[in-house]
Amino acid sequence: MSLLSDIQAILTGLAITFSHIFRKPVTVSYPEEKRPMPERFRGSIVLTRDPDGEERCVACYLCSGACPVDCISMAAAETPNGRRYAAWFRINFARCILCGLCAEACPTLAIQMSSEMFPCKRDVMNMLYEKEDLLIDGTGKDPNYNFYRHAGIGVVTPRGANPDEHPPVDVRTILP
Amino acid sequence: MPKLIIDDIEVEVPAGTSVLEAARSVGITIPHFCYHPALAIAAACRLCAVKMLDGPVKGIQMSCALPAQDGMVVSTTDPDALKMRKLVIEWLMINHPHDCPVCDEGGECLLQDFTIAGGHGIRRYQGKKRTHVNQYLGEGIYHEMNRCIQCYRCVRFYQEYAGGTDFGVTGCAGRVYFGRFDDGPLESPFSGNLVDICPTGVFTDKTGRFRARYWDYQYAPSICPHCSAGCNLSPQAYHREVIKIVARRNDEVNGWFICDRARFDKSDLNDPLRPRQALVDGSPVEWEAALNALATRLREFVQSHGADSLALVGSTRLSLEAGILLAELAARYKGVRLCYFIDPAEAQLSLSKVEWVPAGMAASQAELREADFIAILPCDLMEESPMIALAIRQAFVKGAKVYLVAPHLTALNLERLPFQVQVVPELADVPLGEAKRGIVVAGAGFADLKGLEAVPTGVKFVLLQPGPNSFGAALLAREYRAVPLREAIASGKVKGILALETDLPEELRQGLTFFAAADWRNNGAAEPASVFLPTSAWAETGGTWINYEGRAQRYRQAYKTGLPLRGLPARYYGSQEAEPPAHPPRVHRAVAPGGDTRSAWMLVAELIFKLTGEPAAEPYAGKWAPLKHIDPEGPGMRLPAELLAG
Ligand code: SF4
Ligand code: SF4
Ligand code: SF4
Ligand code: SF4
Ligand code: FES
Repeated sequence: MSLLSDIQAILTGLAITFSHIFRKPVTVSYPEEKRPMPERFRGSIVLTRDPDGEERCVACYLCSGACPVDCISMAAAETPNGRRYAAWFRINFARCILCGLCAEACPTLAIQMSSEMFPCKRDVMNMLYEKEDLLIDGTGKDPNYNFYRHAGIGVVTPRGANPDEHPPVDVRTILP
Repeated sequence: MPKLIIDDIEVEVPAGTSVLEAARSVGITIPHFCYHPALAIAAACRLCAVKMLDGPVKGIQMSCALPAQDGMVVSTTDPDALKMRKLVIEWLMINHPHDCPVCDEGGECLLQDFTIAGGHGIRRYQGKKRTHVNQYLGEGIYHEMNRCIQCYRCVRFYQEYAGGTDFGVTGCAGRVYFGRFDDGPLESPFSGNLVDICPTGVFTDKTGRFRARYWDYQYAPSICPHCSAGCNLSPQAYHREVIKIVARRNDEVNGWFICDRARFDKSDLNDPLRPRQALVDGSPVEWEAALNALATRLREFVQSHGADSLALVGSTRLSLEAGILLAELAARYKGVRLCYFIDPAEAQLSLSKVEWVPAGMAASQAELREADFIAILPCDLMEESPMIALAIRQAFVKGAKVYLVAPHLTALNLERLPFQVQVVPELADVPLGEAKRGIVVAGAGFADLKGLEAVPTGVKFVLLQPGPNSFGAALLAREYRAVPLREAIASGKVKGILALETDLPEELRQGLTFFAAADWRNNGAAEPASVFLPTSAWAETGGTWINYEGRAQRYRQAYKTGLPLRGLPARYYGSQEAEPPAHPPRVHRAVAPGGDTRSAWMLVAELIFKLTGEPAAEPYAGKWAPLKHIDPEGPGMRLPAELLAG
């Protein structure tokens, strides 16, 4: 009795094996071949631009402060019209653990996790991405936000001309 | 001594202490914006609400403006008090701009801290925000008026504490404005303290604008190198560049503040032309090689010319430790000239001031602030030591009589002083006999110590010195029988000089057969030196300086030396391009570019080892032993009498 059931079990197993041999394989030969990723996939990190095409990053150091492995470094600087920006911005992807804390910390929605797969290189120095390598042309996941249209320092609009601001007050008036 | 209960903790405080301060004394921080220990109470921000459960007053009260009284039972955590504080924060944030990422206060902002702590997270008010136009306030301070929360700290400091007249508050209703009548540089030489004192980012340091964040700074307790007052400060560096210098509290010395020279003058430290390369005969070499060359040449020089034609020269900005070791080096060569001063008159004067003031009779800045009679001997205090003038102002506002002894002074000097003085022609005209806490103040140039003999006993002295460590240099010179360099040279024998962090006048280098120098300052010593060794600047190393009152204060290394990352020359990128890329080099290095320097004391210690084969002795030994354990974050250490006495 037990012999019969053993044979049956083996045949069932083999039948499953054989049926899989003729199926289409699910494996893709990454990295030559890439699977389309869901839109909210948290892959490689990019720096995005605001809807006006300017760099979003204001070099506030929040992402580098939040990064648990300290792989972001930058230097803030100021343009002649008072815009704060990153003179340079470097991510050491050899160290990045793709935790997403930087993107979460970013108050300007500049640093984002794209749906791109994370690149792997043989030489560790090639894992060092500079601002030029990180900056993309689009707005990424948040197409409408422009930090400087909400901040009070008046860089892209005259002072007091943002939608949520009154024009500057006259401090010399004594009217109530 | 009222006794009260705060959050179930019994507290006893001196009469007149506020509830907020009483809570602080037992480690309970009540959120506050307008309260500042150094300033008068304004009770303007309404954040420090507590609930009085029992006692003479009941209900919600402002703890900063409420003197502690017997029988009070205070709750800082009562739901009513919490709600009040939360609402106050929400009101204050109604007009506050969405600036944190581009605000240099971010990360060190009291408003951020207490907004988070108060639990206000989501903006409910949907209306528009009030805005202001900023003013140009000079090259030190950036004005961003939208961020103001009307705490009045700035005016209270600027007008009341510092005696400034060109800055104040205008406007009414929701338009209260803190600034000048018109754009223009702030006139007060203490204006930089607005940066520290404003709890928000209305005033930020323009010299460090948009550069770094608080959490990235490398900083350490340090001492101001600009005069002999010894004010405590903290240099904050990022990427090997000092971005900001902030005041550091020392109640015995500067209190909470520093002057603008201390805060904004970082030019020496950040000078791109600072010598950072060891040189032998003008060619760059490794540090070690230069030190070897120095040792060899020193040995040869002493062999061929005799030790008495060599002068080892320190200075009044050299740390005490390096000065002590320099004396040890000198002791190895009998007859060598040891100098801590260049000018005989200055050396003589510094020492006589050290010796003239009897132990305990030098007045600290804290004592100045409490004095009731002050006589200032002819000097331009605002030029020499502005913080001394600020201390005198505190005594003045408390009612002290201030006299300026001035046979002839220009009106300008009087105008700049932040207090009123009675001008008298001679010291004898000051009724110092009436003083309970009288103090005589004299500038570094004051030489007529004989004239002070008539000063009644009990009156203390502030006798300023020219350098941050003139006092220490004078002690060293006496202890090791040093001679001033000019005197040594005048003897005609000196043919070689080793100058350690010394600004040598060019004519003294004439006619030498051997000149070696070690310095961090760009003072022209590197080119003529046959061996030059770069040292680490005061902010990049530790040491001790002794201020005019004989207070030894220790400073610590804030950051590691090196060429600032910003503007790093192309050669460090390993490329020949004239214009290097914006980002830092992609090269691994063990030592930062231009970072191969040593502290002056370390240099001397290594030199002693090279020359004698024995390690240098511990500097805090023998007489100097009491100075070994000075807490850099403490009040410093008044030199004990045996160190002051010869
Ligand atoms: S994903 Fe995480 S580890 Fe990577 S840069 Fe961002 S914060 Fe750092
Ligand atoms: S948090 Fe965002 S804005 Fe700030 S430095 Fe990072 S990327 Fe730039
Ligand atoms: S003052 Fe403080 S809360 Fe206001 S924008 Fe600056 S950092 Fe933010
Ligand atoms: S400017 Fe700063 S210190 Fe002055 S009232 Fe406003 S918030 Fe307070
Ligand atoms: S701290 Fe008490 S009202 Fe401002």
